[in-house]
Amino acid sequence: MEIDKSVKKVIKKIKERYGNSSDLNTRIIKKKDKEIGILFLESASSTSTISDFITKSVIVENKPLLKTIFNNLKNTLYTSQLFIIDNFDDFPYYLSSGFTIIVTTNSKKAIIMETRAELDRGITEATSEPTLRGSKDSFTESHSKNLGLIRKRIKDENLWFEELKLGRRTKTRATISYIKDIADQNKINQIKERLKKIDIDGILDSGNIRDYLTKQKSIFPQIKSSERPDLACQELLNGKIIILIENCPFILILPTVFLDYIKSPEDQNQKSINITFTRILRFIALIITIITPALYIAIVTYDQNTIPDKLLISLAVQREGVPFPTFLEIIIFMTIFDILRESDIRSPANATTAMSIVGALVLGQSAVDASIVSPVTIIVVAITSICSLIFQDTDFINSIRLWRFLFILSSSLLGLIGMLSMSLIWITKMATLENINTSYLSPISPLELSANKDTILKLPTPRIFKRPKYISDKNQTKQRRINK
Amino acid sequence: MKKLLLIICLILCGCTDYAELNNLSIVTAMSIDKDEDNYKLSVLIANSPKAQTTSKEGEAKTTVYEGTGKTIAEAIKVIDKKSPKQLYFSHINVVIISKEIGKEGFLKTADWLIRHPQTRDKFYLMQVDDDKASDILKIISPLESFPSQSIATLIESSQNAKSTGDTASYSNFIGRVLETGYEPMMYTIKINGDVKKGSKQSNLETAMPNTYLSLGPLAIYKNDKLIDTSTNKETETIQIINNEIKELIYKIKYKNNNINIFSNNIKTNIDIENKSTIEIKVKAKGSIYEIDDYLNIRELKEINNLEKAWNKSIKKDIEKLINNLKYKYQSDIFGFGNMIYKNYPDRWKQIKNNWNEQFKDLNIKVKVNTKITSTGNLTKTLKEGESWKK
Repeated sequence: MEIDKSVKKVIKKIKERYGNSSDLNTRIIKKKDKEIGILFLESASSTSTISDFITKSVIVENKPLLKTIFNNLKNTLYTSQLFIIDNFDDFPYYLSSGFTIIVTTNSKKAIIMETRAELDRGITEATSEPTLRGSKDSFTESHSKNLGLIRKRIKDENLWFEELKLGRRTKTRATISYIKDIADQNKINQIKERLKKIDIDGILDSGNIRDYLTKQKSIFPQIKSSERPDLACQELLNGKIIILIENCPFILILPTVFLDYIKSPEDQNQKSINITFTRILRFIALIITIITPALYIAIVTYDQNTIPDKLLISLAVQREGVPFPTFLEIIIFMTIFDILRESDIRSPANATTAMSIVGALVLGQSAVDASIVSPVTIIVVAITSICSLIFQDTDFINSIRLWRFLFILSSSLLGLIGMLSMSLIWITKMATLENINTSYLSPISPLELSANKDTILKLPTPRIFKRPKYISDKNQTKQRRINK
Repeated sequence: MKKLLLIICLILCGCTDYAELNNLSIVTAMSIDKDEDNYKLSVLIANSPKAQTTSKEGEAKTTVYEGTGKTIAEAIKVIDKKSPKQLYFSHINVVIISKEIGKEGFLKTADWLIRHPQTRDKFYLMQVDDDKASDILKIISPLESFPSQSIATLIESSQNAKSTGDTASYSNFIGRVLETGYEPMMYTIKINGDVKKGSKQSNLETAMPNTYLSLGPLAIYKNDKLIDTSTNKETETIQIINNEIKELIYKIKYKNNNINIFSNNIKTNIDIENKSTIEIKVKAKGSIYEIDDYLNIRELKEINNLEKAWNKSIKKDIEKLINNLKYKYQSDIFGFGNMIYKNYPDRWKQIKNNWNEQFKDLNIKVKVNTKITSTGNLTKTLKEGESWKK
């Protein structure tokens, strides 16, 4: 739609579009016979910037020598970001984004200036992924700040940001970020293609678009999200692709493999030999948290002959008088723990003390004393839950929980055989997962030996020369060998 | 549809061996007696409900159920009726048989123990000499919570400290019975003290228990039948030849001295030289453990003589044992026949029907090599007027 030549008509139209919203501010300044209209949304823009620089320059700078007032304004406005549009339909987007629009009589064009208000919190410490050793900043709701946090870490012109707008109503900015000469172009194209297909009224968080970016169903998350700029940059340097969504402090990292959840961003900053040990620990915790309850049910209700006799007798004596079958006992207490964890996250901080008392005393001590549950079950549930909390990603923890329940179900039906069959199903399921040409279990399956220098085993940084091939086979060499 | 079928399959074939722990009676020991035609079976149940009354967690007091029947299965049936919970046999630690069963042949009884799906072959098989086998289960031991454990500990600890071996295990016994040219042995166990007092909790209340269990000498079998019980000295020698000894305290007489030699390094090799000669080589290193009179051990000559005396003593023991095996017991417990069978199968074919006589003619050489490497912390013998310090 064209922009009307009359300033009054333009203002009338835009007021109609916004339904006379109270935050829509307009001002008409008369210069001889011509009118200059200033439009902005006071809720989205910084009014002091507008009055200090824009209104002032429109009123004071008056050079009638120039033929049209439009060109005059274009050259004299005190602003760093200025551009000209000629489509009236773009007005709402810019106004809502906090831009100021200037229209003049007899001009089919409009001047647009950035006068965005600071509506977000500053850069704060990462709360959902705390680390001991590493940078403390985290992404925020401000899109440009987020881009800046990456840009200031990688000062290379090959770091490219490609922007898309998602959502019919929200028109959310989504930036695909990658290092041009490292990242796999094929993967970038696939991601862009999938993002362009999205036609929804609103995208408010990066979590909303996750499901559009995967093709196979799975319980485990196939795209990792993080709020740490240092992790984002590590992954960019490995050749991965980052998606940043406006107003969302969580970025998406593609492609994600299973082993990414075993790693932590601070791993790169610590002694590598200790990190190897830590990762083995995390791996053991993963196995424990998935199979312990199932194993307990299997050996206690089906395969009692696998337990050493002293332990068996002690277990049997402890179970004396417990009314529920072991399977139900475990299910009940796992569920109660999960409810406890969920309510702990949701509840306000001053309610947690009461909750921990109820959790520890009532559910633990008293339940055993009343012989509703045997002490071993409490131990099993406790070990399982503690081991699951070693991981940072909530999605990952929740998918572990679901698999754990599947394991419990199978072992309570078939004992150890059921547990083993379920672990086969589990591994098969993970091995068949694939997203944007990357297998979920890479680089272990398909095996890529050189990429395994930083998986469960972590070699010192001076000894890792190549980037993992499963991410991108472009420009593989990461560093030059040093001759000592 | 496919998924539904899979779920149905899982549910239908599941829960076959399902059993909750508190519905099981865990049998940890079993004794088999026989009077006249009937088997008398006792089982020891470890997780008895009696344990509920004690406040200590995990500690179980035990219950013993008895049953008689013409066969073992019948006797088990009787016990099953007495026991409120399902009997569970996979944790049997010890099976104790009476002398009568040994004399009659153990294989008849063994069938049930092997055939039952729950039982394992890793338990100790023992025989009582004069007592009733069922009495062993009743004795409450001061250090372990139930008798089967105390018997197992008795065997295992002596395995490490003094003697014994996996000779006591059931699989070993059956293996020996079934193997060509091998005869089995079995440990005996005996009750010291009064059975009635020993089966009461009050047995634990005194510092010095009235009644306790102890390991006896080896019983020598031929095929699956009991021949005789060896003496303690013979048992020790058998253990030396079987390499079952880790630590040995050996007493020798030398110049009116009773000298004990401690050795934790004894190795025996049995080699077959030819069709009718077998050589037993013993290598032993030891140190002086105790001297009860004066002996000048600072002189090398004395040490050398001591070595020789020890050497002779071991050699004499072994030769005496072999002689007894040949003529008194007539049982080839070291598997000399098996060695001939493995090395000279043709020869074995000729002699196997007449092995009892051939065994007597077998030439068995004994070579002993002993060395005393240290005199302990003392380098002298204690004597008035001499300092004991170095």
